[in-house]
Amino acid sequence: MSEVSLENVTKRFDSTVAVDDVSIDIDDGEVMGIVGPSGCGKTTALRLVAGFETPTDGAIRYDGEDVTHVPPENRNVGLVFQSYALFNNMSVLKNVTFGPKMHGVSKRERRERAEELLELLDIEELADRDPKTLSGGQQQRVGLARALAIEPHILLLDEPMTGLDAKLKQNLRQELGQLLEDLGITTLYVTHDQEQAMSMCDRIAVMNEGRLEQIGTPAEIYEQPANEFVAGFIGTANLLEGTIRDGTLSLGFGEVDAPETTVEEGDVTVLVRPDEIPVGDGPLDVEVTNLFYQGEHVQATAELPDGRELTLRLDRSRKTVGTGDTLSIDIDPSSVHVIQSTE
Amino acid sequence: MGADHVSTDTRAAESVQATLKSLVSPASERQREIRRIVALCIPFSILLVFSGVFPLTEMFRISFSESRLVTEGFTVEYYRTLVTDPYYRNIAFNTLWFAAATTVTSICVAVPVAHALEKYALPAKSVILTVLSFPNSLPGIVAAFMIIILFGNTGVLSNVFAFLSGQSRIDVAIATSVGGLFFAYIYSMIPRALLLLRGTYAEVNTDAEEAARALGATPLQTFRYVTLPQIKPGVIGAFILVFRTGLAIFGTVLILKGLLVWTLQIDRELAQGFNIAQASAMATVWFFFVFGFTVLALRYTSAEVSI
Repeated sequence: MSEVSLENVTKRFDSTVAVDDVSIDIDDGEVMGIVGPSGCGKTTALRLVAGFETPTDGAIRYDGEDVTHVPPENRNVGLVFQSYALFNNMSVLKNVTFGPKMHGVSKRERRERAEELLELLDIEELADRDPKTLSGGQQQRVGLARALAIEPHILLLDEPMTGLDAKLKQNLRQELGQLLEDLGITTLYVTHDQEQAMSMCDRIAVMNEGRLEQIGTPAEIYEQPANEFVAGFIGTANLLEGTIRDGTLSLGFGEVDAPETTVEEGDVTVLVRPDEIPVGDGPLDVEVTNLFYQGEHVQATAELPDGRELTLRLDRSRKTVGTGDTLSIDIDPSSVHVIQSTE
Repeated sequence: MGADHVSTDTRAAESVQATLKSLVSPASERQREIRRIVALCIPFSILLVFSGVFPLTEMFRISFSESRLVTEGFTVEYYRTLVTDPYYRNIAFNTLWFAAATTVTSICVAVPVAHALEKYALPAKSVILTVLSFPNSLPGIVAAFMIIILFGNTGVLSNVFAFLSGQSRIDVAIATSVGGLFFAYIYSMIPRALLLLRGTYAEVNTDAEEAARALGATPLQTFRYVTLPQIKPGVIGAFILVFRTGLAIFGTVLILKGLLVWTLQIDRELAQGFNIAQASAMATVWFFFVFGFTVLALRYTSAEVSI
């Protein structure tokens, strides 16, 4: 295990800047997530750490040692792919022993190590199976066992759960989260799924158009997003324009006390999460324009008195609410976060 | 019994009638599909009968004819000659070893070229591809002429080798030797192998190759353990295709004559010996050998090539 750092890393492909001056330090044993929309550069960042791409500028360090120009086979990284990428010409056991074999581990030791990992991942009965005959979830476990078999400096997970069904994804997420915690292995987890990242990672780096927008714990990213992009990408966000004067935040349709942490005066953009807006009792009436039943709750779009839209989260007890109904809401100053405008 | 026979005939006639009716006025989607298949296959079926089945049948008949020029009587003499006469046995041996050697060489050259073409962003890739596929559309006679230009008595490379070695140009000229023929063969065979191998390479799971690298495999080990097993069906397919090409080459060998092979001898039987029956026996053996080789190769390998 080790610390891994990206230092001011930039990667250009011709005129396209895939990764733009990104710096991320991953602590020993930490699970770092990189999230962002498609094409934001997160997979390129992972490939830079793995050694499949060389930075145009900047450096990659493992335990302080510069590995920027070290080829992938000498970096000792465990890589798990979205497509599983198992060796279909080998049995499951041979897939898992492949890495140790390339590292010169004795036949006996690599077999023991593989059997141990297959047992840990609860797939020991699949040892002699052909990877092509396995389900997606089983293949992903084999891929994970194979990556762990080399006792890597860092485990790189590239969208490992995309393509699995929702139930399996949920189970695997819990198991993988627990496994990473138990093993204490330094991990870089790349995903476009913010929920997975929030539940599994110690810290999250949010990327957009090659740039690092924010890095922090899931709670920091969710509750104190650095800008509108992060606020909008992580969770559901109500972004409202307002003005702060003399400690009062004017939102057009009403006024609340400005958040205590705010030092800015003038025009601002504020974030209010739907789950932080109490519905049912409050001074502000809104008209429901749309409802989206989501099982555990109902998401509603409502129109504010000044015509702007607000997203609300209703619990299931309010399933009788229909479009056109009026709801009373309250906006608590403590739930309002002033964020930096990205414009 | 007789009534049964009549009844069977009637049923068969009714079945044919129903099939024809379904082709003219199909009533279900399946029948419409069959009509489309029949319509698509008719031109090729006509071609197959007139340019394939008919001449092959005639050739087969003449090969058992007692007369050298026309179909008359029955004899296996020409086949016996092919088996027992050391002259023909030697030609068969020449044909097989030369086709095998040029095939192996062509595959060995084509695999790294296909690898480079499919794995790396080469500059002017489309120009390289055009140059590499060019021999596919060149007649063998032109290929032979190019070898003469390069390796003939006054050839460009012969001049260079003569200058470097201090020998005479005639001594180093190899165009009409086995060596010259070898170059001419692989010149025609490499592009064919490439055609198939590039298609195979395009389907290689690059994630698996990267996984192997991350697990500590060098590029060579990655090729050995991950890439090669994936391209194996393509390599075997290319071997079958190129070997068949090697057996069939005629124009090139007609000009260069470096080695007496089966196709050249068929020409000699026809043009010099006027022995159509012997030529037919040789062509029949050639046909069944190639057909049998391909069927067996496909049966016992995972090759990706059709008969």
